[in-house]
Amino acid sequence: MDKLLAVIRREYLERVRSRWFLIATLFGPVFFGLLMFLPALIASREKASGDASKIIIIDATGVSLGDRVAAQLSGGMSGAGGHSQVRAVRADSLAPAESLATKAVMSEQVKGYLVLDSSTVAGHRARYSGSNTTAIFDMQQLDRAVQHEVLGMRLEKSGIDPELGRELSDLNVNFTTERLTKRGRGGSGNVSLFFGLAVAMLLYMTIFIYGLNVMSGVLEEKQTRVAEVVIASVSSTKLLLGKVIGVGAVGFTQLVLWMGMSVLMWTIRAPILAKMGAPQMSSGLPDITPATGLILLAFFVLGFMFYAGLFAAVGATVNSEQEAKQAQMPVVLLLVCSVMFVQNVLFTPDSALSRTLSLLPFTAPIVMPLRMTVAPVPALDIVMALVSVALGAVFTTWLASRIYRVGLLMYGKKPTMREVLKWVRQG
Amino acid sequence: MPELAIEVRDVVKRYGDHLAVKSLSLSVPRGAVYGLLGPNGAGKTTTIRMLLNIIAPDSGSVKILGAPHNDPKLVDRIGYLPEERGLYRKMQVRRVLRFLGELKGLRGSDLDRRIDSWLDRLQLRTNGQDWGAAKVDELSRGMQQKVQFIGALLHDPDLVILDEPFSGLDPINAQALKDTVVDLKKRGRTVIFSTHIMDNAERLCDSVCIIAHGEKVLDGGVAEVRAAHGGRMVALGLEGAPTSAVQLVLNNRALVARADDSNRFLEVELAAGARAPDLLKALVDAGASIERFELVRPSLHRIFLEKVGATHVEDGLSGQG
Repeated sequence: MDKLLAVIRREYLERVRSRWFLIATLFGPVFFGLLMFLPALIASREKASGDASKIIIIDATGVSLGDRVAAQLSGGMSGAGGHSQVRAVRADSLAPAESLATKAVMSEQVKGYLVLDSSTVAGHRARYSGSNTTAIFDMQQLDRAVQHEVLGMRLEKSGIDPELGRELSDLNVNFTTERLTKRGRGGSGNVSLFFGLAVAMLLYMTIFIYGLNVMSGVLEEKQTRVAEVVIASVSSTKLLLGKVIGVGAVGFTQLVLWMGMSVLMWTIRAPILAKMGAPQMSSGLPDITPATGLILLAFFVLGFMFYAGLFAAVGATVNSEQEAKQAQMPVVLLLVCSVMFVQNVLFTPDSALSRTLSLLPFTAPIVMPLRMTVAPVPALDIVMALVSVALGAVFTTWLASRIYRVGLLMYGKKPTMREVLKWVRQG
Repeated sequence: MPELAIEVRDVVKRYGDHLAVKSLSLSVPRGAVYGLLGPNGAGKTTTIRMLLNIIAPDSGSVKILGAPHNDPKLVDRIGYLPEERGLYRKMQVRRVLRFLGELKGLRGSDLDRRIDSWLDRLQLRTNGQDWGAAKVDELSRGMQQKVQFIGALLHDPDLVILDEPFSGLDPINAQALKDTVVDLKKRGRTVIFSTHIMDNAERLCDSVCIIAHGEKVLDGGVAEVRAAHGGRMVALGLEGAPTSAVQLVLNNRALVARADDSNRFLEVELAAGARAPDLLKALVDAGASIERFELVRPSLHRIFLEKVGATHVEDGLSGQG
């Protein structure tokens, strides 16, 4: 037991002390920060971009619709004055005015030009040409401004009091979504999707990175031949177990640090968002009960054990990094399987495919947590998934310890699959 | 207290079609320095790994310090320096040693004290510099070997097993190693080491075992082995080059089996049935001006070559040899 602890301690401390661990630990929160603030920042650009008003409005309506749109673009009645130039023309001189405006766009004096004519007033169409047509929010703003002013103009034309007309056309319905589960409200639909994806990616990344870490650790001991000294003092099973537990504990530490820092960031995001001038997003993460948190961590631990055993076995059968790259492919493919189906699970969490994937030992560690965060999952399914991954982990650890014992002292040529199977039988 | 430190009986180990060790039996008395000699691929490392329970023999029994070799309590009483050296490259020397010590059941301040005393003793820590604080990477090869040697001896084991300890050592470090082995013996520890450098074995070992092709060729005390093979070798010193008459005597296969010119004198092996006085008389009759005529005990090197045969040396199996 003392020796197992010595192995665990070495694996853990040597990794936690490394610069690599520090960088990865800091990278996590930066990554989450970006995910957290970027959508808000993008959303805030909806207002902030002044591009939509830096245009030429060619007004061939004869009823000054152009002036009204320009005023709307620059912030409505209360606006501080727009930059758009309104050029009122007669309908028959539209073509020369347009070619003039095209030149202005091409020489980058303006972003684009908007053409308003009689069909616009009739409520049919308006045209915009410019260099920024892919800026979705700007286009939406332009679209809204034209719709708004045409509607206002038509209301006035039908004899409604201008004041009342403005009041009627100034409508802005804020459309939000909220997710309902059997337990009740669970945050907005978007946040849940985003959160589920983040959890799945996080689990995938940590299992992958730390699985590879176990493999390179085994390979290092083999390459430097330390393995022989160590194996003369401690059984190969203990060495394997110590390695898996030690490296797993590093991953666990990192996960906890990442989660802690992310939660901290989430709680202080409001003042930061306010400072950035971005709008406040709907509140909070989906309700994560302590039980759910524990289940998520259990999936990480078991999933890691499952893959770490396989990666360790791969490390014991190869002699160099190059050989390892080839030999790890089957294991990596198994792991990537889960990520390939992330979309299916996200959008149809209750389909037969999603359910199957969330129960298979090699996909469950990632797919089940994903399924759990986007839809309610029966407790029986969760228990079945946990048992399946646990059994899988016991099997891969057993398999790995047999391959490990023989492979660790085998140098020279890479063994064939048949030889490896023989090692397993001999164990 | 059992008399034998190591008792190997009829041990067989095969790798696929290759028979690495064929029915080998060994007895190593307690407190002895024991040499396991043999060419590359003879089965030395395989034998050592079986002693250490790293690999299991296909048949036969191994007893270490009176207990079966798979007794889990044994590992803390054995120190092992493998043939293939290596340490965790990125790790600090002191931390590596602490780890190796912990694997042998040492703890805390006792462990730290032992590490310090060994670092001092092998001059890895001097007034100017403490290599214990450096990373393994930063050490020269010789220093790394010393560190590994310390790792094998930190827990003051009753049995020390060194696989090819002299390979790659410069003369100064080799001497430090020899001194340590002598010191271990003085303190009643048993040391077994494999080597193919006969000179070292002859000087250090009380007993030796020569193996080739996984089989024991001969074993016993160094003095006995040499005595048993003595009486057939004559060191012959001549003034000037041998004359043709003398050469005729040396070529006489009834008297001389082989004559090797080792520069300063000739090593002459008597033919079967021939006696030394007959040779001396023949040489005098041939008019040889003899400076030295001495019946010598053969060196281990000579015995080794005689028994194993230079042609039996196989290469390329060191990974499992």
